[in-house]
Amino acid sequence: MLSGGRANAVHAHTNMAEPMELLCWGGDWDLPSVHTDSLIVLAYAKFSGAKLAVKSIDWTWRTITASVPQLHWEGSTVTEPAQILNFLRKQRFNADYELTAKQGADTMAYIALLEEKLRPALLHTFWVDAENYVNLTRPWFTSHSPFPLNFFVPGRQASLALSRILLTKAESPLLNITEVEGKIYSEAKECLNLLSHRLGNFHFFFGDTPTSLDAFVFGHIAPLIKAPLPSGQLQKHLNQLENLCQFCNTILKNYFTDAAAEKRMDYG
Amino acid sequence: MSLAAEAFVSQIAAAEPWPENATLYQPLKEDQILLSDSASSLAVQTFLRMCGLPVLVSCRANAEYMSPSGKVPFIHVGNQVVSELGPIVQFTKAKGHSLSDGLDDVQRAEMKAYMELVNNMLLTAELYIQWCDDHTATEISRPRYSSPYSWPLNHILAYQKQWEVRRKMNAIGWSGKSLEQVYEDVSQCCQALSQRLGTQPYFFSKQPTELDALVFGHLFTILTTQLTNDELAEKVKSYTNLLSFCHRIEQTYFKEHERESQSGSSRHSKGSLP
Repeated sequence: MLSGGRANAVHAHTNMAEPMELLCWGGDWDLPSVHTDSLIVLAYAKFSGAKLAVKSIDWTWRTITASVPQLHWEGSTVTEPAQILNFLRKQRFNADYELTAKQGADTMAYIALLEEKLRPALLHTFWVDAENYVNLTRPWFTSHSPFPLNFFVPGRQASLALSRILLTKAESPLLNITEVEGKIYSEAKECLNLLSHRLGNFHFFFGDTPTSLDAFVFGHIAPLIKAPLPSGQLQKHLNQLENLCQFCNTILKNYFTDAAAEKRMDYG
Repeated sequence: MSLAAEAFVSQIAAAEPWPENATLYQPLKEDQILLSDSASSLAVQTFLRMCGLPVLVSCRANAEYMSPSGKVPFIHVGNQVVSELGPIVQFTKAKGHSLSDGLDDVQRAEMKAYMELVNNMLLTAELYIQWCDDHTATEISRPRYSSPYSWPLNHILAYQKQWEVRRKMNAIGWSGKSLEQVYEDVSQCCQALSQRLGTQPYFFSKQPTELDALVFGHLFTILTTQLTNDELAEKVKSYTNLLSFCHRIEQTYFKEHERESQSGSSRHSKGSLP
């Protein structure tokens, strides 16, 4: 049982009655999860030392009902990566406590940059680009959803992705995806270049320990690096940015090897 | 515009110097313009003044439809039309005027990141408050937006615009947010800007950049525009260094035009800063 109040945070956590439960998409391609938002939460949990019981929603009806990622604890439910990170911080799992105020402000700014410039191109690469969608994304999500949902889940995600790109990036009223493609890819490449400049030769964005910004960047670029995309101009561009690839592999090696090793043991 | 067309336009832009009769178009100031458009327009005007480039401001009821991308403001320079702050900054750079040349790569990355923060949080919050909050939409946004048109066009256009904005909010996940959460987001954004600004005169120490123009445009408009309640302005006012930042830019770049329409006596705008 919890010992009186939250005065002694560490003691309270080792005595927690039930662990926090995270629902997310399953993993593949050496990653703990193929879904960007789920990866952000998983990475942050590792960085801040939070123990999460990870339940994947693959092959359950939750693929269509749940908005992933979702954190359950003692009856309350939190969705959306930013809100889950806030919740974890309130529970004293804070990877950002060493940051100065200015660095905290920088974190917010860079996260906004990722959302505005990189995410539309990621959505396009995985869900709208015909070759990638038909050969990689749709088969993966179809094979990880139960019958009969496998007919609906990928299509629904794809149309959500397309409408998001068109509504935010295209010039109304002529909403045409081909005009926007060039623009979103060039903005994404610029964003990756900016991130690479900012990271420089450091291991993480703010010194030697990873923070929430590292979690967000990792969540966005890891699928792009690891997925075997048939047509990946953005992937090729990212592979040229050595320090970002190194960053991603360092995190996988230091924080996720036990998960990857477990999976290999399950299959082997 | 496709990438090839953009490169072509840049080449043409570089060929001619900035003319005297460059014009900026925005919706009617007294009756029609809304908070978000006014903020964007002021940001562009501030940027051009910071570069020392003359521009005439022209108010038209159909500015939104004249614009090549559907967004205001847009500038008409020579025989080219460019809309929105991002493309305008690139256009002036092609003509040889730039505020951010002195920045190194890391600083430029930071500047772009903060500009996205303002666009992502402040602009989206402004749009949300104007169109997704029923009270504000009914009392202010719809009447103002449709004021130049007669019945039934005014109703149709106002509802169409509202539907468009709500769809966009839905797509980016803001439709589930309550008004309180939106004010909280604005507050966090202002806190981040305030911490980044610190005690410096501009965001990148001595010289103003397009980030300063963008932040000034939004904050000044929020502070001087009357909405159904003052909560948004209060959130901004609680950060004193942002207030003095706005005062400073207003004094430096706009004081010689105080008598003109900038701080005019329109019902919507409260004029200069309190």
